[in-house]
Amino acid sequence: MDPSWADRIDLFRWAILAALVAGMVCPLIGTFLLVRRTSFYGITLPQFAAAGVVFGFVVLPWWSSTFGGVDAMQALDTPHAAMNYKLAWAALFTFGSLIALVLTGRRAGSEIARVAAAFAIANAATYLFGRMSPVGKSMVDELLAGEILGVGRHEFETLSVLYAIVFATILFFHRDFLVVSYDRESAVVLGKPVLAFEIVLNVLTGITVAVGTMFLGPTLLFGMLILPPLAARRWAASTLSFHVIAVALGIAAVVGGIFASFEFDLPLGAAIVGVAALELVPGPFVRTRA
Amino acid sequence: MDANPVVRLANAAFGYDGRRVVSGVDLEVGPGAFFGIVGPNGAGKTTLFRGILGLVEPLEGRVERLTEAIGYVPQRETLDPIFPLRVDEVVFMGAYGRLSGWRGLPRAERDLARACLERVAMADHARASFSSLSGGQRQRVLIARALMARPKLLLLDEPTSGVDRAAEARILEVLEDLNRRDGIAVLLVSHQLALVRKAVAEILWVADGRVVRGSAVEMLRPENLDALFSSSFEA
Repeated sequence: MDPSWADRIDLFRWAILAALVAGMVCPLIGTFLLVRRTSFYGITLPQFAAAGVVFGFVVLPWWSSTFGGVDAMQALDTPHAAMNYKLAWAALFTFGSLIALVLTGRRAGSEIARVAAAFAIANAATYLFGRMSPVGKSMVDELLAGEILGVGRHEFETLSVLYAIVFATILFFHRDFLVVSYDRESAVVLGKPVLAFEIVLNVLTGITVAVGTMFLGPTLLFGMLILPPLAARRWAASTLSFHVIAVALGIAAVVGGIFASFEFDLPLGAAIVGVAALELVPGPFVRTRA
Repeated sequence: MDANPVVRLANAAFGYDGRRVVSGVDLEVGPGAFFGIVGPNGAGKTTLFRGILGLVEPLEGRVERLTEAIGYVPQRETLDPIFPLRVDEVVFMGAYGRLSGWRGLPRAERDLARACLERVAMADHARASFSSLSGGQRQRVLIARALMARPKLLLLDEPTSGVDRAAEARILEVLEDLNRRDGIAVLLVSHQLALVRKAVAEILWVADGRVVRGSAVEMLRPENLDALFSSSFEA
């Protein structure tokens, strides 16, 4: 006998709650990626984070023998120390690649080509590192496929706290992020510490990607960072409505994805992204409002 | 010399990566001044303009901005239409220098934005999409945004580039009104000599890395222009 809906929701409640939090926060970050024309970051950075997690498994034997604290079995069971270890590698690769992209982006040349090349490198690195560590590769394969049902209470709490910080920071500095993104020179004339705000925005992006990739996988991150903001842009008549619609579409995609996943036995992360993709369908028939 | 200048440059040199583009600039801009920065393409008009604004640090000499009330109107082509902004949201940005945090926009700022839009005859478009406006309308909205700083000095980068004659006339009308009625010093950079001759009192002619100040009517006479474009700074 199939378990009831209530049983499934109860059984996977931490994964569902984590996806809902991501559905709220990732599209908000994604709105800034879209208007700053850095949406490709939303694909490339999670891929680097995934490569970082696999790399963590590659160096795990050396790490255990040198520093102790985490062994391969712990890493698979995701106790606190192992989770922090993987999170550290995801963050290291995310921020490393982000800094490299921002610094090289100041030079002449095609920004899109640079980010696309970075994605190709990150993708290849994930598989190469995976070859060196089958354990890490199998974990990332699960995340890539969107299997996020294993998310537990501790992962949910960690993700929620960090995403709450991201969300609150964006709310608090939304005017500053807007003017710095829209008209950098005017922001300087207005006396805004432009570079500081750009760094904060990039740090928020890095936190969102590193934590999200670690717990929910790159597939869900790709989708939530890019698809709801892209769909929302068509409907938005103002900046505020752009943010609100993007978040609403993100949450709607998660709810629809949960339904599709349970009803048709699909991987939850991929099902959510599938529903988010459907939100783009009306786009060509809607006249852009602003 | 003005008694209360809003900007003072003393032997200032500006450039990029240590390379000078313009140098030896001595200038005082007083209340009610109306300057045009003109000159051949690539001569350093924009570099001088950015130096006065503080977007480029002087390589030598001194730049003193003696007021914080500076309004800046960028070239509207530099603003990306991918941002879903209403006209009033663009104007509110002019107040962001004194606002931060998540509280709503104070009533006084909303009233000021309304007054600024009325000043440029765009109040009826407050809820319209900024990117849907014509070039001239967008330019007037950007002037309204600059007025939110309650400026004593207004700096405009190619304010009439790419707009039709009627729009150009309306923009100039607004600038002349702000200059005469409110005593706001206006400094605009333009490559449209006919416009500058018509609108401004004095020009800063930028060429060959030097800046020459003079009367717009006098310097922009056809016979003088020939001399300026050939070797005006050799003497």
